[in-house]
Order: sequence, then C-alpha cells, then structure tokens
Amino acid sequence: MVDLKGETPALGCDPFTQTDGTLPYLLKLRERTLRVVCDQQEPSRPPPRQEARAAPPDLGPELPDLPSFDDAEELPGWLDRLAGVALDRADEERLNLVANMLAAHPYDALGLSPRTARRAYAVFKLLYRHYFRVASSGHAAIPEKSGAILAANHGGLLPFDGAMVVVDMLLRANPPRLARAIVDRWAGTLPFVNIFYSRVGQVIGTRENFRSLLRTSQIVLVFPEGTAGIRKRAADRYVLQKFNVGFVEESIRHRVPIVPTAIVGADDQSPVLYDVKPLARLLGLPVFPITPTFPLLGPLGLLPYPVKYEIQYGEPFRFYEEFPQHVVDDANAVRYMAEQVRRRVQEIVDRGVLRRRGKKA
Amino acid sequence: MRRVLIGHMDCAVGRRLVKALYHDPDVALVYGLGSGPTPSFLEPYQEKCFYQRLDLAKARHLTGFLGSERFARARFDSLILLPFGQENAAERIPGKVPALVSETRRLLEAARRDPRIERFVMLSSAFVYSPEPGNVNMMAEEEPLSFAADGDSRVRAWIDADLLCQNELKGPELCMTILRAPAIVTEAGELLHCPPLEYGTIPLGYDPMISVISDRDAARALMLALHSDQPGVYNVAGREIFPASELLRPARFGPLPLPRSLFGAVALVSQTLGRGRQQAHDYQRYGVVLDTSRAREALGFEPQYRVELRGRGGERQLDTVRYR
Repeated sequence: MVDLKGETPALGCDPFTQTDGTLPYLLKLRERTLRVVCDQQEPSRPPPRQEARAAPPDLGPELPDLPSFDDAEELPGWLDRLAGVALDRADEERLNLVANMLAAHPYDALGLSPRTARRAYAVFKLLYRHYFRVASSGHAAIPEKSGAILAANHGGLLPFDGAMVVVDMLLRANPPRLARAIVDRWAGTLPFVNIFYSRVGQVIGTRENFRSLLRTSQIVLVFPEGTAGIRKRAADRYVLQKFNVGFVEESIRHRVPIVPTAIVGADDQSPVLYDVKPLARLLGLPVFPITPTFPLLGPLGLLPYPVKYEIQYGEPFRFYEEFPQHVVDDANAVRYMAEQVRRRVQEIVDRGVLRRRGKKA
Repeated sequence: MRRVLIGHMDCAVGRRLVKALYHDPDVALVYGLGSGPTPSFLEPYQEKCFYQRLDLAKARHLTGFLGSERFARARFDSLILLPFGQENAAERIPGKVPALVSETRRLLEAARRDPRIERFVMLSSAFVYSPEPGNVNMMAEEEPLSFAADGDSRVRAWIDADLLCQNELKGPELCMTILRAPAIVTEAGELLHCPPLEYGTIPLGYDPMISVISDRDAARALMLALHSDQPGVYNVAGREIFPASELLRPARFGPLPLPRSLFGAVALVSQTLGRGRQQAHDYQRYGVVLDTSRAREALGFEPQYRVELRGRGGERQLDTVRYR
C-alpha cells in the first residue's frame, strides 16, 4: 500500500493547497475581500429568529388523489378505444405475440412503440380488408423464428404496398411476424412522418439499422428498386427497375434467406403520367408526379385508388449456403445475385398480372 | 496492481468509479483530480483513494501537478479522463477553445513522457457523431463525427479531445480506449450531458430517440476498459432508448415544440435573457442510438441497470433499476 498521506504535495504553484498551516496568499486575499464586501452589504445582520412551530391547520378529511393530465394519457385514449373496436380477440392475441417476441416496452431499440403500432394496425387492417382487399399466398416461405429479408417490388406514390405487407405478415403468417420495412433516408427528414414511421416499426435505411434488425432475427422488408420504383411511369407498370445490392450483402453476412415478394396492385394505385424532375429537384423531393388526380385535386390527389392487392411470397434464396462469406467483396457476384432475385420477383409479378388480366377478361 | 489517476473525479460517474476501483483488488492507488472541493463520497475510501483539488482548465495547475514529486512518486500506470466534469458557462462562448482540449493534450503528453503509464481511458460522448436523418439512428463506432460549422462549442471540444485520443490509437506506447457514452442518468434521476435536451425545445415534427446509460453502467464500462488489453473506440449504452419529449417531461416546463424556422428568433431572445443560445442542431431533430455490439464482444460490456421513467404527472422522473 502506498503512503502518500504524510507527504507534502509538491505543488508550489497551487493556490488551493494549504502547505504549512497558514492560508496561501490568494486564499487570504479572497477571504479578506469577501469579508469587506459582506461587511459593506450586511453591516449588522440579525441572528436568525427561532420561530415557534405552529400546529397544522385542521383542513378536514383528506381528498382522494385526482388524476393528472399525464394519468389521462396513460389510460386508454380515444384512439386506443377505436383500435379496440377495430381489432378482434384474435388480432389482439397476434399483436401480443409479436410484442412479446420483441420485448419492446415502451420502445424497442429502433423506436417501435407497441402501443402506437397497435393503433396503426387497427387502421391499416381496415384498409387491408375493405379498401385494398388483399389476397396473399406463399406464407410457408416465411421463417417462424429466424430473420429473413423480404425483397419486394415497389410501386404507388405513397408506400401502402409496404404497409399491406406488414399487415399481411401480422394477419396471415404463422406465427405472426412483424416486418420492419426499410424506408428511404429522405423520409427521415420529414417532420411528423419520421416519428410515425419509427413508432410503427419502420426503419431508416442505414446499414447499421439494417444490421441491427438482422442481428436480432427480425423480418426486414426491403424495396431494392428504391425511389426508382415509385418514379416509373404508368407505361412501365410492373417492370422492375434495377435492384440495389446492399440487401444481398447483408443476407450473406448474417446468413438469412431472401424471400422474393411480389406485390401486384401497387403500381395501379396512383399511375404516374409524368415525373417533373426539375421541380422535384427544386423542392428536394424524390419525385414530383403528374397523375390523373394530382396536382388537380391537391394533396387528396395522392391518395391511392381502391385497387385490389395481391401479395405472393416465393421460394427463399439462400446464397450463404452456396457462396463463402467473402463473396460480398466481389461486386460482380453480388450484382449477379441481386439480379437473380430481381428476375424471380419479376416472374411472380408477371404471373400475378397475367392472372389478374385473365380474370378481368 | 494498477495505480490510477482520474481527471475530473468530482462528477457523478467519478463517484461510481471510485467505489468500483476501491473494491477492485487489482487497484493499489486511486488519485483523483478535480476543480471542486474534496468530494464527500471519498470519505469511506481514504485508504487508497486520494484527491487533489486543482483547476484542470488552468495550464499552470495541471503542469505543476504533472511535474510534481507527488505525481512522480505515485507511479501511475493508468489514466482515466472523465471530461464531463468540466462544464461552465465560459465554455459555451462560441469561438473560445474549451479547456477540455488543452487538458487532454497535456495529460496525453504526460502519459507519453512517463514510460510507466501504459493505459489511457477516455469517457467521450455519443453526441460527437453526426446524426443521419431519421427518428432513430443506430450509430456504430465508424460513423463520421460531426464537424458542422455551427455546432455546439462543447460538443466540438468533445470531438477535438476524442480525435486527440484517437491519434494515440496508432502508436504502440499507450493502450488507448475511448468509450462513447450517451446521456447519463444518475441515481437521483438527473440526466447529464445531453446537449439536445439542454434548451428544452424540440423542432416541431421531430422527437429524436436518445440512448441513455446509468452512471453505474458507465463506471462499469470504464472498469472493463481499464482491465482490457484491447485498445479502440467503443460505444457503451443502456438497452433503453427514449424520445426526447419524454426525457424532457420530468423537467419543469416540458418540451416546447418550435418550427425550425423560429429557432433563429428564439435564439436571439434566449441569448438576450441569458438562457443560453438556442440552435437547431441536427441532434435536436435526429436520434442518436448507439450500437454497442463491439463493446459487448471485446470488453464484455452488458448493461446491468435499466433506465425507466417512473411516476406520473409532475412527479414523473427517471430512475435506474438493476436487471433481474
């Protein structure tokens, strides 16, 4: 054990240190100055008076605690009651199952709030059943517990395609899974939208966010076409654009399957006649569309038409079983794999479109 | 047996750290520096814990100590810098170089000069990162730091000090560990070192998610870094994240959502009233959530305390509870 207590600190220049029992010059000076100032301000301060402690006044019986504003917030609000009406017992059970799997209370690591998600789910379930009348198949491809990447085609100006896949995974997958959609970074800059996306489980598309989801074995929904998917004109409906490759790299790194997911209907919900690119650049938007209803009807013109959706999940790709990990460093190989996924999604979309046209005919 | 010198011991994390170091059989000596009077929490640990009051912001105080016989006799082999200790109004003046940078430089020089010192641990801040757009941003150690020209002067000082320490990562002389911690929650429910919340305002339409860590976990991370042989930069944080509005709720007035365009006008009024300068920094809009996987793998860091908001209404406050 070191004995430093008996030593004199070798701090000749330290004005705070008391060396030989007398105060150093600076402290002495400060004390003297303070004494002078105090004496000037309060020349004769009377000693504090000892007040006699009075008996507490008799106010009668105690009142019960009244709920504060925050208490009211904790109680189910009108939104929760509305959600309760829209959701049946089976829905509640499925949501609870998902919330328990995430152990997210009150927020998970990426901002999901089960309470907000429940409210949103109640609204989107109504759209799923009665507005878009979604039909889906191929849920066997979804893993029960482990993580997976759903690679889907993108269409429509507002991302209802993503919302419908999320609701479909909650309603039809067995067990129910919560798909976390990766959204464009631009959406993160939008006031209110950034909060809503985060609370209902959508995640801004940074690599770290993506990895965090896969590390925790969650289902990640990606739209590898990016904004090119929503920019395409009505004439190019259901023609998939070039895929980004990041999702393939992460699939190999984290050894999770890629489930090709085809969404038929989204491209019909808001057909883009023309994209005014200079205006989009000027306003900092990914697209400034001209549609049959926008900008004619103002913001209402962006709302989707009540088209019927069809979602189909294909056989998963497991590139990590075929290739070694270091293949992610080979840009050509990764591009080739992304192209394979794109072709598979295109095939399923084409089949869905043909089926739909056949029905119409 | 480690002999540890702690810069800015007289802070909330310092208190926890001293206790942990005292009970560590591998630590022979703990010597704290701080600008306040001798902290009362040192009283039970006087056998091997010492404290020197000196103003770390003043060059002559620190240089005097580093050149003193006492410093030489103590034969320190580890330095821990808790830069959160020094915070005063003078450092918020734009353009003034906060003392943290100069004191970090001096301590690093002392560590390089003294061949016995082999370890340097710095508790940096998560707010050195440049946040990406989004309510939640998972930040890994490789994320770029924020070099915004209009940045908060204190955050800039943290970044400069962080970079000074990062330079040492390249050299073989020192085992340098930089821990980046988010807002720190003390046992009393105080929230420390969280620049986005200091002004009490949030740009309208934004409510960034922020990582938090209990002061005990922060001290534990420092202990792990002290005993680890893996130099590097590590994020350390608790498991919980909170929206800024909820962290502000226990404050007196709660959050005040303001349109971003109004921040300039409010800045002027606020500065005139002497309530600090309001600025719409990126970290007031975009969340900072730390990815702690590297610290978990390399240092074995797992948070042991849960941070939660307890109570209701005006009595709502932050609390730390041990995980079962």
